[in-house]
Amino acid sequence: MAPLHQYLLLSALLFGIGLAGVLTRRNGLITLMGIELMLNAANLNFIAFWRHSPNPEAIEGVLLTMFAIGVAAAEVAVGLALVIAIYRRYRSVNLDEVDQLKG
Amino acid sequence: MAAVTYLELLKLGGSEVLLVLAGLVVLLVDLAVMRDEPRQNRMLLAGAISAVGCFAAGLWALQDGITGRAFAGMLVIDRASQLVKVVLLMMTAATVALSVQGRFTRHVGEYFSLLLFSTVGMMLMVSTENILLLFVALEIASLSLYILTAFNEENPQADEAALKYFLFGGVAAAFLLFGLSVLYGLTGSLDLREIGAVLGQRGVDAGVAVAVVLVLVGFGFKVAAVPFHLWAPDAYVGAPTPVAALVASGSKVAAFFLLGKVLSTGFAEVAGSAAWHGVLSGWAPVLAVMACFSLLLGNLAAIAQKRLKRLLAYSAVGHAGYMLVGAMALAGATDRGRALAMVVFYAATYGFTTIGAFGVAAAMERAGESDRIDGFAGLSSRAPVMSFCLMIFLLSLAGIPPLVGFAGKFFLFGSALAAGPGLGLVWLVGFAIAMSAVALFYYLGVLKQAYVVPAGERAGTLTVQVSVILTLAVLTAVVLLLGLYPGLLLDPLTRALAVGM
Repeated sequence: MAPLHQYLLLSALLFGIGLAGVLTRRNGLITLMGIELMLNAANLNFIAFWRHSPNPEAIEGVLLTMFAIGVAAAEVAVGLALVIAIYRRYRSVNLDEVDQLKG
Repeated sequence: MAAVTYLELLKLGGSEVLLVLAGLVVLLVDLAVMRDEPRQNRMLLAGAISAVGCFAAGLWALQDGITGRAFAGMLVIDRASQLVKVVLLMMTAATVALSVQGRFTRHVGEYFSLLLFSTVGMMLMVSTENILLLFVALEIASLSLYILTAFNEENPQADEAALKYFLFGGVAAAFLLFGLSVLYGLTGSLDLREIGAVLGQRGVDAGVAVAVVLVLVGFGFKVAAVPFHLWAPDAYVGAPTPVAALVASGSKVAAFFLLGKVLSTGFAEVAGSAAWHGVLSGWAPVLAVMACFSLLLGNLAAIAQKRLKRLLAYSAVGHAGYMLVGAMALAGATDRGRALAMVVFYAATYGFTTIGAFGVAAAMERAGESDRIDGFAGLSSRAPVMSFCLMIFLLSLAGIPPLVGFAGKFFLFGSALAAGPGLGLVWLVGFAIAMSAVALFYYLGVLKQAYVVPAGERAGTLTVQVSVILTLAVLTAVVLLLGLYPGLLLDPLTRALAVGM
């Protein structure tokens, strides 16, 4: 079993990559992927903490991950629907071209 | 952990079950029976079913003797949570009433059922002390609101507004989940009370600080506090106006109640202090910075706005600042329940007032005008009743006695001052009071258009829908009544929370 800190480094890295993707990429779909990476970094954390906890019989960490995966799936469904709606109106998923609301 | 039978569980979550049933019935009836009817009839029937659902759920929540704590704090039903649920249901009912004569969507069943589902999310938010259900409930409420924002067919910018709301919300949810995972790693528990106990022994170290800041980012988005407010103006303008009203009211009440619970049970011992010359690390300084910038930016940016909904959006950011000042009292107060009651009272009364102001914007749009503030010229002669309601709402938002906004601010600032240590928070409260003077300027700007500037030559009498004017009248009565007798809501809240904490 790999030591805990390696998991934590990996999840911090994933979170950072996801956040960088959200902040720098202008494509709506890639932004969605970034959000998914960030959520999964948190999931990895939960699993790692559960595996290394003093009593792994308490499966709370795994439980939360299951729910988080479900929520993430629902979020992708909503996000993709919105991206499709945007594409229909603007013929583009580039977020820089979607800027009618200002202020 | 005491075992809970299914029957008891149904009883504990009765309000939520009733509301989910109402949402499904709305979907089914609209799809099966009303598909070929004219839109107006479909809206009326779906709205009626939703209102009945809200009423039934509210009655269930008002029953005596339903209390309990099931599954490691997943479902915590007490007097306080039931009371806040009733407030949330009233807000949803007002939103439904503002929607029924609207023309913004053809998808009637989906619209009303999503309104109810988002309310279920908010109701679960106020009845949990477990970070699993905290996250899930927050997402139920948020996801429904993202979709509802895109429902506005009259406004071509609705899709853009919804996408912005969604992207900010998604990132904030990821921050929140990451923070919760660190919290779980540090404490080995999902129950906020156990988390609070472990953090109490541990004190503030680097891990705790990371968890606290990440969780506050998630909540900062939900309550639209600076610097996580960027979605708010766009979402308020793009969304159907009743939905914007719900985002500004119900979602804010639920988020502040949940935030208060997290701060006073989970993070109780890692509060630190934001007192002048006495800053200690913890959540209090972080919250103080967010409160300060929300007050400053929200109120100053509102001055420049030319449209009512955008003005209300920035004023919502400013009001989030006031409520955060109130939440600061949870750090030092000896009586945490009372401090939380003040915050919830302010959030609830602000919610009722702002729904009213959005209702006026909805009525203007429905009458073929826009929500541009210069279009309000001569409103007092074109629609006297509505402009009177608007005056009450805006003066209450500005905090003029004897309206409820004044009572709310008075109690909120009083509780922040008393929390101390000593008079440590005077600087923050003084700043908040100065900013409410700024706020008076832009609210009066709207009223000047309505009452002083004469109407244009071609402007005739405005016709306002019956449902809208009735809702506005009820909300005006609530604002006046609670302003004169704040104890009607505040006393039960204080009593319920004093027991709960």
